[in-house]
Amino acid sequence: MRHVRGFDMVRPLSIGMLVFMMLPLVFLPLASIFIFGTRTGLDKFWAALMAPEAIFALKLSMATSFWATVFNVIFGLFAAYVLSRYDFWGRNALIVTISLPTAIPTAVAGFALLLLWGPYGTLGRLLAPHGVELMFTAGAIILANIFVTFPLAFGVIKPVFDTMSRSLEEASATIGATRWQTFWHVTLPSLRGAIVSGALLTFARAVGEFGSTILVSGNLAGKTQTAPLYIFAKFNEGQIEAANAIAIVLALFSFLIFSVLFFARDWLDVD
Amino acid sequence: MAKAKEQVIPNSEASRPASQAIDPPPVAASVVGLSKHFGKTSVLENISFEVAEGEVLVLLGASGSGKTTILRIIAGLEQPLKGKVVLHGKDVTDLPARERGVGVIFQSYALFPKMTVEKNIGYGLRIRKRRRKQIRETVNELLALVQLEEHRKKYPSQLSGGQQQRVAIARTLAYKPEVLLFDEPFGALDTQTRSHLRREIRALLKKVRVPSIFITHDQEEALELGDRVAVLNQGHIEQIGTPFEIYNHPATEYVATFLGAANILDAVVRNDALEIGGTPVPAQLDPAKFRSGDCVKIVFRPEDVVLSRSDLLRPGLLKIANARIEELTFVGAYERVRLRFERGAEACDRDERDFLLTTETPDRQTAKPIIATRPKPEASATRLQVGERVVVAITSFTVLEPQTNTDDS
Repeated sequence: MRHVRGFDMVRPLSIGMLVFMMLPLVFLPLASIFIFGTRTGLDKFWAALMAPEAIFALKLSMATSFWATVFNVIFGLFAAYVLSRYDFWGRNALIVTISLPTAIPTAVAGFALLLLWGPYGTLGRLLAPHGVELMFTAGAIILANIFVTFPLAFGVIKPVFDTMSRSLEEASATIGATRWQTFWHVTLPSLRGAIVSGALLTFARAVGEFGSTILVSGNLAGKTQTAPLYIFAKFNEGQIEAANAIAIVLALFSFLIFSVLFFARDWLDVD
Repeated sequence: MAKAKEQVIPNSEASRPASQAIDPPPVAASVVGLSKHFGKTSVLENISFEVAEGEVLVLLGASGSGKTTILRIIAGLEQPLKGKVVLHGKDVTDLPARERGVGVIFQSYALFPKMTVEKNIGYGLRIRKRRRKQIRETVNELLALVQLEEHRKKYPSQLSGGQQQRVAIARTLAYKPEVLLFDEPFGALDTQTRSHLRREIRALLKKVRVPSIFITHDQEEALELGDRVAVLNQGHIEQIGTPFEIYNHPATEYVATFLGAANILDAVVRNDALEIGGTPVPAQLDPAKFRSGDCVKIVFRPEDVVLSRSDLLRPGLLKIANARIEELTFVGAYERVRLRFERGAEACDRDERDFLLTTETPDRQTAKPIIATRPKPEASATRLQVGERVVVAITSFTVLEPQTNTDDS
């Protein structure tokens, strides 16, 4: 192979190989969703999407993910503040515990929630006589979403807290600000980027949650069926078009969120 | 209520109003008997000092001398173990930082990165819920004072280090602090910006007349900025005085050597004189502190040394010994001469004499070299040679008080 000055053969070769390897692993599966879903015509696709159960599933997914995200961002902010500001006995154990839920199989997470809150569960048994049933409701889906996305926002926010100079907060205090004013005017603005990306990550992960949701929700169409559960149910019933329409929406949705995360990084980081 | 122990003596510079000398200005801030420990190590031991209205006090010390801890205690960012902090007559020791009304200028600037220059400067007024119009006016005034009008809409990351530090100063001046605390504010700047900003801040402080405590490890900075300087060493104050006093009349060996080059010699007290290297030098000593036969240390600066080829000296010069020139170095603004005494000037301390004998082999000369500096005109008028014998005289010297614990062992 002749080596031309200013032209490195390794460059196009390695790029080509990378794309070639990704083709069967990522590109083709993604492409097939779109090819298959639109093969029978856009009107069919639209009709499948507009089915009342499909719309309900999408709305339920969005709503449960939204509330799980709100909770986990606020919790992650609070946990990151406590764990990076104060040193105490058991601090590292807490950090590990917060991070644990991502390492646990989602089915195990759902099962654990059932054991606690289910009608015969440790806490559920106490609530059942009062007519309070948490499992197999939208609330159960939110709980499952909170559990599996627990460390995501925390994981993004904590490093920013760790690297934030203490002298900013000290300066604010000497200028005369209360703790709350300091947090609102000084600490929070510096965390804006981390909060937005933590929230997007949490939301994206929650919308796609399947393993734990199928256990705790009861999977009742039009009542507790989220979008991923809808895909699974329709696929089992042999209604490939119906499953595919929702699959396209979820895929586009993830794509959108990660584009925002990727391209808005500069905006999120600097003022 | 003028109970100032240390009288504030404005030094002879023309910029200081002469009227100040008549009546010592009231005390603006004081610390009394501050002590602090970190674990088992004591960082501060019984620190007390006062800052007068409009005065700049510099705390000068090496790293680990406790100067930053003092500043943080005054600011309310740290609690002392013992002692109290008084600001304008009010004991603030138990008040949180935000209620003390002090202004801290951090070495790292600590500007709020997500606020523009204007917003940073107006922060103290915004959290005090002042009217918009008043905030705008104050911010405009301060921007003009620190000469950053054209940068008002910029973010701190878009400014140079010196500009950021000026924003930080304007930000603290905005809410009219009772006292300004500077924590090595030039530490992160290059030498040129540093000396430029130093002059600027000095002029600024003279203009706004807010009492200030300034921390530094740089002796030149301390002498230039301070109305008074407190020299700290391992958690205690070695000496407080005007720059003139601490440079020319250091109280301890540490102060003498920390502030520039110093020659330190042993001398023996004789009735009305000091015997330096066998040569009696007339000296007025307080008989309460010095007894005849005492061994003391004297300090003089390299620029206090006059070298002469003859014994005929100008009146006022004190001859101390003959010496041989060991080394001549050209250091730009002046010539540095290293000399060694021919005889005498021996240490009183036996340990030290043993040390001398072992280190000096060829000629029986004393071990301690003397450093002299000669300004350019003098150096070029009388050229000296290495190995030449000269008469060493000094214009002035300071006698260090004998240390209490130097009994022979």
